[in-house]
Amino acid sequence: MIRLQNVYKDYGGRPALVNVNLHIGMGEFAFLVGPSGAGKSTVMRLLYREEKPTSGQVLIGGIDITRLDRGQVPLLRRRLGIVFQDYKLLDKQTVFDNVAYILRALGVDNREIAKRVESALCVVNLEDKGDAYPDELSGGEQQRVGIARAIVNGPPVLLADEPTGNLDPVTSLEIVQLLEKISQRGTTVLISTHDQFIVNSLRRRVISLKNGQLAGDVDSGVYDMEAIGQTV
Amino acid sequence: MRKLRILSGVATETGQGLRRGGWSNWLVVSILAIALTIFGGVLQLTMTLKNVVSSWGSQLEISAYLKDGYEPRSVAREVSQMPDVKLVEIVPKEVAWQEMQQAFKVAALNNPLPNTLHIQLTNVDSVEKTANRLKTVDSIEHVRYPLTVAKNLNRFRHFIEAAGVAVTAALTAATLMVIGNTIQLVIQSRHKEIEIQSLMGVSPWYIKGPLVLQGAVYGFASALVATAVIWAVRAYMDCYVTGQLVGLLPLLPAEVGYGMVPTFLVLLSLGTAVGAGGSAWTSGRYIKV
Ligand SMILES: Nc1ncnc2c1ncn2[C@@H]1O[C@H](COP(=O)(O)OP(=O)(O)O)[C@@H](O)[C@H]1O
Ligand SMILES: [Mg+2]
Repeated sequence: MIRLQNVYKDYGGRPALVNVNLHIGMGEFAFLVGPSGAGKSTVMRLLYREEKPTSGQVLIGGIDITRLDRGQVPLLRRRLGIVFQDYKLLDKQTVFDNVAYILRALGVDNREIAKRVESALCVVNLEDKGDAYPDELSGGEQQRVGIARAIVNGPPVLLADEPTGNLDPVTSLEIVQLLEKISQRGTTVLISTHDQFIVNSLRRRVISLKNGQLAGDVDSGVYDMEAIGQTV
Repeated sequence: MRKLRILSGVATETGQGLRRGGWSNWLVVSILAIALTIFGGVLQLTMTLKNVVSSWGSQLEISAYLKDGYEPRSVAREVSQMPDVKLVEIVPKEVAWQEMQQAFKVAALNNPLPNTLHIQLTNVDSVEKTANRLKTVDSIEHVRYPLTVAKNLNRFRHFIEAAGVAVTAALTAATLMVIGNTIQLVIQSRHKEIEIQSLMGVSPWYIKGPLVLQGAVYGFASALVATAVIWAVRAYMDCYVTGQLVGLLPLLPAEVGYGMVPTFLVLLSLGTAVGAGGSAWTSGRYIKV
Protein backbone atom coordinates (compact mmCIF):
# COMPACT_ATOMS: atom_id res chain seq x y z
CA MET A 1 0.00 0.00 0.00
CA ILE A 2 2.86 2.32 0.88
CA ARG A 3 6.21 1.99 -0.83
CA LEU A 4 9.32 4.15 -0.76
CA GLN A 5 11.98 3.29 -3.35
CA ASN A 6 15.50 4.68 -3.05
CA VAL A 7 14.11 7.85 -1.57
CA TYR A 8 16.59 10.64 -1.06
CA LYS A 9 15.50 13.98 0.29
CA ASP A 10 17.56 16.99 1.17
CA TYR A 11 16.58 20.44 2.34
CA GLY A 12 18.89 22.92 0.67
CA GLY A 13 21.78 20.44 0.51
CA ARG A 14 21.31 18.99 4.00
CA PRO A 15 20.16 15.39 3.66
CA ALA A 16 17.05 14.48 5.68
CA LEU A 17 16.43 11.04 4.16
CA VAL A 18 19.13 8.91 2.55
CA ASN A 19 18.27 6.00 0.29
CA VAL A 20 15.18 4.84 2.16
CA ASN A 21 13.39 1.71 0.95
CA LEU A 22 10.21 0.75 2.69
CA HIS A 23 7.11 -1.29 2.09
CA ILE A 24 3.97 -1.39 4.17
CA GLY A 25 1.27 -3.79 3.01
CA MET A 26 -2.44 -3.25 2.84
CA GLY A 27 -4.09 -3.25 6.26
CA GLU A 28 -0.77 -3.25 8.08
CA PHE A 29 -0.07 -1.32 11.25
CA ALA A 30 3.41 0.10 11.75
CA PHE A 31 5.33 2.54 13.91
CA LEU A 32 7.93 4.81 12.39
CA VAL A 33 10.36 5.64 15.19
CA GLY A 34 13.49 7.63 15.67
CA PRO A 35 14.79 10.55 17.68
CA SER A 36 13.84 14.07 16.84
CA GLY A 37 15.37 15.05 13.51
CA ALA A 38 15.62 11.47 12.27
CA GLY A 39 13.33 12.20 9.32
CA LYS A 40 9.96 10.81 10.47
CA SER A 41 7.96 13.89 9.57
CA THR A 42 9.77 14.11 6.26
CA VAL A 43 8.58 10.58 5.40
CA MET A 44 5.04 11.60 6.36
CA ARG A 45 5.18 14.80 4.32
CA LEU A 46 6.38 12.83 1.33
CA LEU A 47 3.44 10.48 1.73
CA TYR A 48 0.84 13.24 1.72
CA ARG A 49 2.72 15.17 -0.95
CA GLU A 50 3.55 18.18 1.16
CA GLU A 51 7.09 17.54 -0.08
CA LYS A 52 8.60 15.80 -3.07
CA PRO A 53 11.70 13.62 -2.75
CA THR A 54 14.91 14.88 -4.26
CA SER A 55 15.13 11.52 -5.95
CA GLY A 56 13.41 8.16 -5.70
CA GLN A 57 9.80 7.11 -5.82
CA VAL A 58 6.94 7.28 -3.36
CA LEU A 59 4.05 4.96 -4.15
CA ILE A 60 0.66 4.75 -2.54
CA GLY A 61 -1.67 2.06 -3.78
CA GLY A 62 0.74 1.49 -6.67
CA ILE A 63 0.65 5.11 -7.83
CA ASP A 64 3.84 7.13 -7.91
CA ILE A 65 2.65 10.23 -6.13
CA THR A 66 5.81 12.17 -6.92
CA ARG A 67 4.41 12.46 -10.46
CA LEU A 68 1.02 13.86 -9.49
CA ASP A 69 0.46 17.39 -10.71
CA ARG A 70 -0.84 20.05 -8.37
CA GLY A 71 -4.46 19.53 -9.29
CA GLN A 72 -4.28 15.85 -8.36
CA VAL A 73 -2.86 16.37 -4.88
CA PRO A 74 -6.29 17.02 -3.30
CA LEU A 75 -7.51 13.74 -4.82
CA LEU A 76 -4.61 11.92 -3.14
CA ARG A 77 -5.25 13.59 0.20
CA ARG A 78 -8.92 12.63 0.16
CA ARG A 79 -7.78 9.00 0.05
CA LEU A 80 -5.53 9.53 3.07
CA GLY A 81 -6.52 10.17 6.64
CA ILE A 82 -3.92 12.43 8.24
CA VAL A 83 -3.55 12.95 11.97
CA PHE A 84 -1.22 15.61 13.37
CA GLN A 85 0.59 16.24 16.61
CA ASP A 86 -1.16 19.62 17.00
CA TYR A 87 -4.57 18.18 15.91
CA LYS A 88 -5.10 20.93 13.30
CA LEU A 89 -8.79 21.39 14.07
CA LEU A 90 -10.83 24.34 12.80
CA ASP A 91 -11.26 26.10 16.14
CA LYS A 92 -14.24 28.22 15.07
CA GLN A 93 -16.25 25.16 14.10
CA THR A 94 -17.92 22.54 16.22
CA VAL A 95 -16.66 18.99 16.49
CA PHE A 96 -19.41 17.85 14.14
CA ASP A 97 -18.57 20.54 11.57
CA ASN A 98 -14.87 19.73 11.77
CA VAL A 99 -15.51 16.11 10.98
CA ALA A 100 -18.14 16.96 8.37
CA TYR A 101 -16.00 19.56 6.60
CA ILE A 102 -14.49 17.45 3.84
CA LEU A 103 -17.81 15.75 3.14
CA ARG A 104 -19.51 19.12 2.70
CA ALA A 105 -16.71 20.30 0.43
CA LEU A 106 -17.31 17.19 -1.67
CA GLY A 107 -21.04 17.88 -1.89
CA VAL A 108 -22.22 14.86 0.08
CA ASP A 109 -25.86 15.25 1.07
CA ASN A 110 -26.76 16.19 4.61
CA ARG A 111 -28.32 12.92 5.64
CA GLU A 112 -25.33 10.96 4.47
CA ILE A 113 -23.04 13.46 6.23
CA ALA A 114 -24.92 13.07 9.52
CA LYS A 115 -24.71 9.30 9.24
CA ARG A 116 -21.01 9.19 8.46
CA VAL A 117 -19.99 11.84 11.01
CA GLU A 118 -21.96 10.13 13.75
CA SER A 119 -20.39 6.80 12.97
CA ALA A 120 -16.89 8.35 12.93
CA LEU A 121 -17.55 10.09 16.25
CA CYS A 122 -18.83 6.79 17.58
CA VAL A 123 -15.58 5.04 16.64
CA VAL A 124 -13.61 7.60 18.66
CA ASN A 125 -16.14 7.61 21.49
CA LEU A 126 -17.21 11.22 21.11
CA GLU A 127 -20.79 10.74 19.96
CA ASP A 128 -22.05 13.19 22.59
CA LYS A 129 -19.51 15.94 21.82
CA GLY A 130 -20.69 16.92 18.35
CA ASP A 131 -21.81 20.38 19.41
CA ALA A 132 -18.70 21.19 21.43
CA TYR A 133 -15.96 23.47 20.15
CA PRO A 134 -12.38 22.23 20.09
CA ASP A 135 -11.25 24.55 22.89
CA GLU A 136 -13.85 23.00 25.19
CA LEU A 137 -12.18 19.61 24.85
CA SER A 138 -9.13 18.01 26.46
CA GLY A 139 -6.07 17.28 24.34
CA GLY A 140 -6.96 13.61 24.08
CA GLU A 141 -10.50 14.46 23.00
CA GLN A 142 -9.23 16.92 20.41
CA GLN A 143 -6.95 14.27 18.99
CA ARG A 144 -9.89 11.89 18.82
CA VAL A 145 -11.76 14.50 16.81
CA GLY A 146 -8.72 14.64 14.55
CA ILE A 147 -8.93 10.87 14.11
CA ALA A 148 -12.67 10.96 13.44
CA ARG A 149 -12.04 13.58 10.78
CA ALA A 150 -9.28 11.45 9.28
CA ILE A 151 -11.49 8.37 8.93
CA VAL A 152 -14.80 9.98 8.02
CA ASN A 153 -14.24 9.62 4.29
CA GLY A 154 -13.18 5.98 4.65
CA PRO A 155 -9.54 6.31 3.58
CA PRO A 156 -7.53 3.15 2.86
CA VAL A 157 -4.46 4.72 4.48
CA LEU A 158 -4.13 6.59 7.77
CA LEU A 159 -0.98 8.58 8.54
CA ALA A 160 -0.36 9.92 12.04
CA ASP A 161 2.68 12.11 12.64
CA GLU A 162 3.49 12.09 16.36
CA PRO A 163 -0.20 11.91 17.24
CA THR A 164 0.61 11.59 20.95
CA GLY A 165 3.36 14.19 21.10
CA ASN A 166 1.22 16.60 23.14
CA LEU A 167 -0.50 14.02 25.33
CA ASP A 168 0.17 12.33 28.67
CA PRO A 169 1.18 8.62 28.66
CA VAL A 170 -2.24 7.21 29.55
CA THR A 171 -4.05 9.28 26.94
CA SER A 172 -1.30 8.48 24.44
CA LEU A 173 -1.88 4.79 24.91
CA GLU A 174 -5.63 5.26 24.42
CA ILE A 175 -5.03 7.14 21.19
CA VAL A 176 -2.67 4.52 19.82
CA GLN A 177 -5.03 1.74 20.78
CA LEU A 178 -7.77 3.59 18.96
CA LEU A 179 -5.59 3.76 15.85
CA GLU A 180 -4.89 0.05 16.21
CA LYS A 181 -8.63 -0.60 16.38
CA ILE A 182 -9.07 1.39 13.17
CA SER A 183 -6.37 -0.65 11.44
CA GLN A 184 -8.29 -3.79 12.34
CA ARG A 185 -11.06 -2.57 10.06
CA GLY A 186 -8.66 -2.88 7.13
CA THR A 187 -7.03 0.55 7.09
CA THR A 188 -3.28 0.73 6.59
CA VAL A 189 -1.92 2.73 9.54
CA LEU A 190 1.49 4.36 9.88
CA ILE A 191 2.27 6.18 13.12
CA SER A 192 5.44 8.16 13.67
CA THR A 193 6.55 8.58 17.25
CA HIS A 194 9.54 8.90 19.49
CA ASP A 195 7.60 7.61 22.51
CA GLN A 196 9.04 4.25 23.48
CA PHE A 197 6.30 3.53 26.02
CA ILE A 198 3.51 3.26 23.45
CA VAL A 199 5.69 1.39 20.99
CA ASN A 200 6.70 -1.14 23.57
CA SER A 201 3.14 -1.53 24.83
CA LEU A 202 1.77 -2.57 21.47
CA ARG A 203 4.55 -4.76 20.10
CA ARG A 204 3.73 -4.19 16.49
CA ARG A 205 5.93 -3.59 13.46
CA VAL A 206 8.60 -0.99 14.21
CA ILE A 207 10.49 0.82 11.47
CA SER A 208 13.46 2.76 12.84
CA LEU A 209 15.10 5.80 11.33
CA LYS A 210 18.46 7.18 12.31
CA ASN A 211 19.83 10.33 10.72
CA GLY A 212 17.57 9.85 7.76
CA GLN A 213 18.56 6.27 7.17
CA LEU A 214 16.64 3.08 7.78
CA ALA A 215 18.14 1.56 10.95
CA GLY A 216 15.78 -1.31 11.61
CA ASP A 217 12.49 -2.90 10.60
CA VAL A 218 11.10 -5.55 12.94
CA ASP A 219 7.68 -7.17 13.27
CA SER A 220 6.40 -7.31 16.86
CA GLY A 221 9.28 -5.07 17.81
CA VAL A 222 10.19 -2.72 20.57
CA TYR A 223 11.70 0.72 20.56
CA ASP A 224 15.40 -0.08 20.13
CA MET A 225 17.19 2.96 21.51
CA GLU A 226 20.62 1.62 20.70
CA ALA A 227 19.88 0.89 17.07
CA ILE A 228 18.85 4.45 16.45
CA GLY A 229 21.39 6.05 18.76
CA GLN A 230 18.81 7.68 21.00
CA THR A 231 20.04 8.54 24.47
CA VAL A 232 16.97 9.68 26.38
CA MET B 1 -27.32 17.99 -7.09
CA ARG B 2 -23.85 17.39 -5.74
CA LYS B 3 -22.52 20.45 -7.60
CA LEU B 4 -25.36 22.51 -6.20
CA ARG B 5 -24.54 21.39 -2.68
CA ILE B 6 -20.91 22.30 -3.23
CA LEU B 7 -21.91 25.75 -4.51
CA SER B 8 -24.16 26.25 -1.54
CA GLY B 9 -21.23 25.25 0.65
CA VAL B 10 -19.10 27.94 -1.01
CA ALA B 11 -21.89 30.48 -0.46
CA THR B 12 -22.17 29.49 3.21
CA GLU B 13 -18.43 29.88 3.65
CA THR B 14 -18.61 33.30 2.01
CA GLY B 15 -21.30 34.33 4.46
CA GLN B 16 -19.25 33.10 7.39
CA GLY B 17 -16.20 34.93 6.08
CA LEU B 18 -18.15 38.17 5.78
CA ARG B 19 -19.61 37.77 9.25
CA ARG B 20 -16.12 37.27 10.62
CA GLY B 21 -14.96 40.39 8.78
CA GLY B 22 -17.03 42.54 11.17
CA TRP B 23 -16.16 46.21 11.09
CA SER B 24 -13.47 45.77 8.46
CA ASN B 25 -16.23 45.00 5.95
CA TRP B 26 -17.59 48.52 6.47
CA LEU B 27 -14.16 50.03 6.16
CA VAL B 28 -13.50 48.30 2.86
CA VAL B 29 -16.92 49.10 1.46
CA SER B 30 -16.57 52.77 2.49
CA ILE B 31 -13.19 53.17 0.83
CA LEU B 32 -14.33 51.42 -2.32
CA ALA B 33 -17.57 53.38 -2.36
CA ILE B 34 -15.56 56.62 -2.34
CA ALA B 35 -13.43 55.42 -5.23
CA LEU B 36 -16.44 54.24 -7.20
CA THR B 37 -18.36 57.44 -6.49
CA ILE B 38 -15.50 59.46 -7.93
CA PHE B 39 -15.36 57.09 -10.85
CA GLY B 40 -19.10 57.32 -11.45
CA GLY B 41 -19.02 61.10 -11.17
CA VAL B 42 -16.17 61.36 -13.65
CA LEU B 43 -17.95 58.96 -15.96
CA GLN B 44 -21.09 61.10 -15.84
CA LEU B 45 -19.11 64.27 -16.36
CA THR B 46 -17.12 62.98 -19.32
CA MET B 47 -20.16 61.49 -20.96
CA THR B 48 -22.07 64.73 -20.50
CA LEU B 49 -19.18 66.78 -21.86
CA LYS B 50 -18.90 64.46 -24.82
CA ASN B 51 -22.58 64.94 -25.50
CA VAL B 52 -22.17 68.71 -25.24
CA VAL B 53 -19.25 68.65 -27.63
CA SER B 54 -20.97 66.46 -30.13
CA SER B 55 -24.12 68.54 -30.00
CA TRP B 56 -21.98 71.59 -30.70
CA GLY B 57 -20.37 69.60 -33.43
CA SER B 58 -23.65 68.65 -34.94
CA GLN B 59 -24.41 72.32 -35.35
CA LEU B 60 -21.36 72.70 -37.54
CA GLU B 61 -22.31 72.92 -41.17
CA ILE B 62 -20.50 72.53 -44.43
CA SER B 63 -21.71 74.84 -47.17
CA ALA B 64 -21.38 73.59 -50.70
CA TYR B 65 -21.91 76.03 -53.59
CA LEU B 66 -23.14 74.43 -56.76
CA LYS B 67 -22.05 75.17 -60.27
CA ASP B 68 -24.66 76.73 -62.46
CA GLY B 69 -26.80 74.38 -64.42
CA TYR B 70 -26.93 71.54 -61.95
CA GLU B 71 -30.18 70.51 -60.39
CA PRO B 72 -29.77 71.11 -56.61
CA ARG B 73 -32.13 68.32 -55.64
CA SER B 74 -30.21 65.60 -57.45
CA VAL B 75 -26.90 66.86 -56.05
CA ALA B 76 -28.46 66.89 -52.59
CA ARG B 77 -29.54 63.31 -53.09
CA GLU B 78 -26.02 62.34 -54.09
CA VAL B 79 -24.50 64.13 -51.12
CA SER B 80 -26.92 62.60 -48.67
CA GLN B 81 -25.63 59.15 -49.70
CA MET B 82 -22.16 60.01 -48.41
CA PRO B 83 -21.04 58.55 -45.10
CA ASP B 84 -21.43 60.68 -41.95
CA VAL B 85 -23.94 63.01 -43.61
CA LYS B 86 -26.90 63.60 -41.35
CA LEU B 87 -28.92 66.24 -43.12
CA VAL B 88 -28.75 68.14 -46.39
CA GLU B 89 -30.64 71.38 -46.72
CA ILE B 90 -31.08 73.01 -50.10
CA VAL B 91 -30.96 76.78 -50.29
CA PRO B 92 -32.01 77.67 -53.88
CA LYS B 93 -30.28 80.72 -55.25
CA GLU B 94 -33.59 82.53 -55.62
CA VAL B 95 -34.28 82.24 -51.93
CA ALA B 96 -30.78 83.33 -51.02
CA TRP B 97 -30.98 86.26 -53.37
CA GLN B 98 -34.29 87.41 -51.97
CA GLU B 99 -32.96 87.29 -48.46
CA MET B 100 -29.89 89.18 -49.47
CA GLN B 101 -31.86 91.82 -51.29
CA GLN B 102 -34.04 92.38 -48.27
CA ALA B 103 -31.08 92.52 -45.95
CA PHE B 104 -28.83 94.78 -47.95
CA LYS B 105 -31.15 96.60 -50.28
CA VAL B 106 -29.02 95.57 -53.23
CA ALA B 107 -29.94 96.70 -56.70
CA ALA B 108 -31.94 94.46 -58.95
CA LEU B 109 -29.10 92.75 -60.74
CA ASN B 110 -29.05 89.35 -62.28
CA ASN B 111 -28.94 86.86 -59.44
CA PRO B 112 -25.18 86.25 -58.91
CA LEU B 113 -25.60 83.67 -56.16
CA PRO B 114 -25.18 79.93 -56.61
CA ASN B 115 -27.49 77.26 -55.38
CA THR B 116 -26.22 76.17 -51.97
CA LEU B 117 -26.39 73.02 -49.89
CA HIS B 118 -26.07 73.16 -46.10
CA ILE B 119 -24.75 69.84 -44.93
CA GLN B 120 -24.88 68.65 -41.33
CA LEU B 121 -22.80 65.70 -40.22
CA THR B 122 -23.39 62.98 -37.69
CA ASN B 123 -19.84 63.24 -36.50
CA VAL B 124 -17.48 66.16 -35.95
CA ASP B 125 -14.47 64.05 -36.80
CA SER B 126 -15.45 63.82 -40.41
CA VAL B 127 -15.80 67.51 -41.25
CA GLU B 128 -12.56 67.70 -43.15
CA LYS B 129 -12.92 64.30 -44.78
CA THR B 130 -16.42 65.04 -45.99
CA ALA B 131 -15.44 68.49 -47.21
CA ASN B 132 -12.65 66.96 -49.28
CA ARG B 133 -15.01 64.39 -50.67
CA LEU B 134 -17.46 67.16 -51.61
CA LYS B 135 -14.74 69.05 -53.45
CA THR B 136 -14.36 66.13 -55.83
CA VAL B 137 -18.00 66.26 -56.83
CA ASP B 138 -18.28 67.77 -60.34
CA SER B 139 -21.38 69.77 -59.66
CA ILE B 140 -19.87 71.49 -56.66
CA GLU B 141 -17.97 74.67 -57.32
CA HIS B 142 -16.73 75.52 -53.89
CA VAL B 143 -16.92 74.20 -50.34
CA ARG B 144 -16.71 76.19 -47.13
CA TYR B 145 -16.36 74.62 -43.70
CA PRO B 146 -15.35 75.65 -40.16
CA LEU B 147 -12.14 73.65 -39.99
CA THR B 148 -10.55 75.31 -36.97
CA VAL B 149 -13.65 74.99 -34.88
CA ALA B 150 -14.00 71.37 -35.85
CA LYS B 151 -10.37 70.69 -35.01
CA ASN B 152 -10.64 72.33 -31.62
CA LEU B 153 -13.81 70.49 -30.79
CA ASN B 154 -12.12 67.25 -31.73
CA ARG B 155 -9.10 68.02 -29.64
CA PHE B 156 -11.34 68.82 -26.70
CA ARG B 157 -13.26 65.61 -27.15
CA HIS B 158 -10.13 63.51 -27.32
CA PHE B 159 -8.86 65.21 -24.21
CA ILE B 160 -12.05 64.33 -22.36
CA GLU B 161 -11.81 60.75 -23.54
CA ALA B 162 -8.20 60.46 -22.45
CA ALA B 163 -8.98 61.98 -19.07
CA GLY B 164 -11.85 59.51 -18.64
CA VAL B 165 -9.59 56.58 -19.49
CA ALA B 166 -6.90 57.83 -17.11
CA VAL B 167 -9.33 58.26 -14.23
CA THR B 168 -10.86 54.85 -14.92
CA ALA B 169 -7.45 53.21 -14.93
CA ALA B 170 -6.35 54.96 -11.74
CA LEU B 171 -9.53 54.11 -9.85
CA THR B 172 -9.59 50.53 -11.10
CA ALA B 173 -6.03 50.14 -9.88
CA ALA B 174 -6.96 51.69 -6.52
CA THR B 175 -9.95 49.38 -6.19
CA LEU B 176 -7.86 46.35 -7.09
CA MET B 177 -5.32 47.36 -4.48
CA VAL B 178 -7.87 47.84 -1.73
CA ILE B 179 -9.57 44.52 -2.50
CA GLY B 180 -6.24 42.76 -2.91
CA ASN B 181 -4.90 44.02 0.43
CA THR B 182 -8.12 43.17 2.22
CA ILE B 183 -8.22 39.65 0.88
CA GLN B 184 -4.54 39.25 1.63
CA LEU B 185 -5.23 40.15 5.26
CA VAL B 186 -8.10 37.66 5.31
CA ILE B 187 -5.81 34.98 3.90
CA GLN B 188 -3.16 35.77 6.50
CA SER B 189 -5.64 35.56 9.34
CA ARG B 190 -6.92 32.27 7.99
CA HIS B 191 -3.66 30.67 6.94
CA LYS B 192 -4.04 27.90 9.49
CA GLU B 193 -7.52 27.04 8.27
CA ILE B 194 -6.40 27.16 4.67
CA GLU B 195 -3.55 24.79 5.49
CA ILE B 196 -6.00 22.41 7.18
CA GLN B 197 -8.38 22.55 4.23
CA SER B 198 -5.57 21.80 1.85
CA LEU B 199 -4.33 18.88 3.96
CA MET B 200 -7.84 17.41 4.01
CA GLY B 201 -7.88 17.44 0.21
CA VAL B 202 -10.40 20.25 -0.24
CA SER B 203 -10.34 21.53 -3.84
CA PRO B 204 -8.37 24.73 -4.36
CA TRP B 205 -11.38 26.45 -5.82
CA TYR B 206 -13.51 25.50 -2.83
CA ILE B 207 -10.89 27.24 -0.70
CA LYS B 208 -10.54 30.27 -2.95
CA GLY B 209 -14.16 30.53 -4.10
CA PRO B 210 -15.45 32.11 -0.89
CA LEU B 211 -12.65 34.69 -1.00
CA VAL B 212 -13.42 35.58 -4.61
CA LEU B 213 -17.11 35.89 -3.75
CA GLN B 214 -16.25 38.02 -0.75
CA GLY B 215 -14.36 40.40 -3.03
CA ALA B 216 -17.28 40.44 -5.44
CA VAL B 217 -19.68 41.26 -2.61
CA TYR B 218 -17.42 44.13 -1.51
CA GLY B 219 -17.33 45.49 -5.05
CA PHE B 220 -21.05 45.15 -5.57
CA ALA B 221 -21.98 46.68 -2.21
CA SER B 222 -19.62 49.61 -2.79
CA ALA B 223 -21.07 50.16 -6.23
CA LEU B 224 -24.56 50.25 -4.73
CA VAL B 225 -23.46 52.90 -2.24
CA ALA B 226 -21.75 54.88 -4.99
CA THR B 227 -24.87 54.61 -7.13
CA ALA B 228 -27.01 55.96 -4.30
CA VAL B 229 -24.63 58.87 -3.71
CA ILE B 230 -24.46 59.82 -7.37
CA TRP B 231 -28.18 59.53 -7.71
CA ALA B 232 -28.73 61.81 -4.73
CA VAL B 233 -26.22 64.37 -6.03
CA ARG B 234 -27.85 64.34 -9.45
CA ALA B 235 -31.30 64.78 -7.94
CA TYR B 236 -30.00 67.75 -5.95
CA MET B 237 -28.35 69.29 -8.99
CA ASP B 238 -31.44 68.84 -11.09
CA CYS B 239 -33.50 70.65 -8.47
CA TYR B 240 -31.30 73.54 -7.50
CA VAL B 241 -28.34 73.93 -9.77
CA THR B 242 -29.31 73.20 -13.33
CA GLY B 243 -32.11 75.72 -13.23
CA GLN B 244 -29.62 78.47 -12.46
CA LEU B 245 -26.96 77.23 -14.84
CA VAL B 246 -29.25 77.15 -17.84
CA GLY B 247 -29.65 80.89 -17.59
CA LEU B 248 -25.89 81.37 -17.37
CA LEU B 249 -24.90 79.05 -20.14
CA PRO B 250 -27.04 79.62 -23.16
CA LEU B 251 -24.40 77.70 -25.06
CA LEU B 252 -25.36 74.52 -23.26
CA PRO B 253 -27.74 72.71 -25.54
CA ALA B 254 -30.76 71.18 -23.89
CA GLU B 255 -30.89 67.41 -23.38
CA VAL B 256 -27.17 66.81 -23.08
CA GLY B 257 -27.41 65.10 -19.71
CA TYR B 258 -26.02 61.62 -19.97
CA GLY B 259 -28.48 59.04 -18.67
CA MET B 260 -27.72 57.69 -15.23
CA VAL B 261 -28.76 54.11 -15.91
CA PRO B 262 -25.72 53.31 -18.06
CA THR B 263 -23.47 54.83 -15.39
CA PHE B 264 -25.07 52.67 -12.74
CA LEU B 265 -24.79 49.54 -14.84
CA VAL B 266 -21.14 50.28 -15.52
CA LEU B 267 -20.53 50.96 -11.82
CA LEU B 268 -22.22 47.78 -10.62
CA SER B 269 -20.62 45.50 -13.16
CA LEU B 270 -17.20 47.09 -12.91
CA GLY B 271 -17.33 47.10 -9.10
CA THR B 272 -18.32 43.46 -8.94
CA ALA B 273 -15.85 42.37 -11.61
CA VAL B 274 -12.95 44.27 -10.10
CA GLY B 275 -13.86 42.98 -6.63
CA ALA B 276 -13.92 39.39 -7.79
CA GLY B 277 -10.89 39.82 -10.03
CA GLY B 278 -8.81 41.48 -7.34
CA SER B 279 -9.49 38.78 -4.82
CA ALA B 280 -9.05 35.99 -7.37
CA TRP B 281 -5.65 37.38 -8.24
CA THR B 282 -4.64 37.74 -4.59
CA SER B 283 -5.95 34.27 -3.72
CA GLY B 284 -4.03 32.77 -6.61
CA ARG B 285 -0.93 34.55 -5.50
CA TYR B 286 -1.02 33.85 -1.77
CA ILE B 287 -2.77 30.50 -1.55
CA LYS B 288 -0.54 27.78 -2.87
CA VAL B 289 -2.52 24.61 -2.65
N1 LIG C 1 11.33 22.48 5.98
C1 LIG C 1 12.59 22.15 6.33
N2 LIG C 1 13.62 22.91 5.94
C2 LIG C 1 14.89 22.58 6.27
N3 LIG C 1 15.21 21.51 6.98
C3 LIG C 1 14.23 20.71 7.41
C4 LIG C 1 12.87 20.98 7.11
N4 LIG C 1 12.10 20.01 7.65
C5 LIG C 1 12.95 19.17 8.26
N5 LIG C 1 14.22 19.58 8.13
C6 LIG C 1 15.40 18.88 8.63
O1 LIG C 1 15.34 17.55 8.16
C7 LIG C 1 15.71 16.65 9.18
C8 LIG C 1 14.57 15.68 9.47
O2 LIG C 1 13.49 16.41 10.03
P1 LIG C 1 12.10 15.74 10.39
O3 LIG C 1 11.67 14.93 9.23
O4 LIG C 1 11.19 16.82 10.83
O5 LIG C 1 12.47 14.81 11.59
P2 LIG C 1 11.55 14.21 12.73
O6 LIG C 1 10.13 14.37 12.35
O7 LIG C 1 11.99 12.81 12.82
O8 LIG C 1 11.89 14.96 13.98
C9 LIG C 1 16.10 17.50 10.39
O9 LIG C 1 17.49 17.68 10.36
C10 LIG C 1 15.40 18.81 10.14
O10 LIG C 1 16.15 19.85 10.69
MG1 LIG D 1 8.54 15.34 13.36
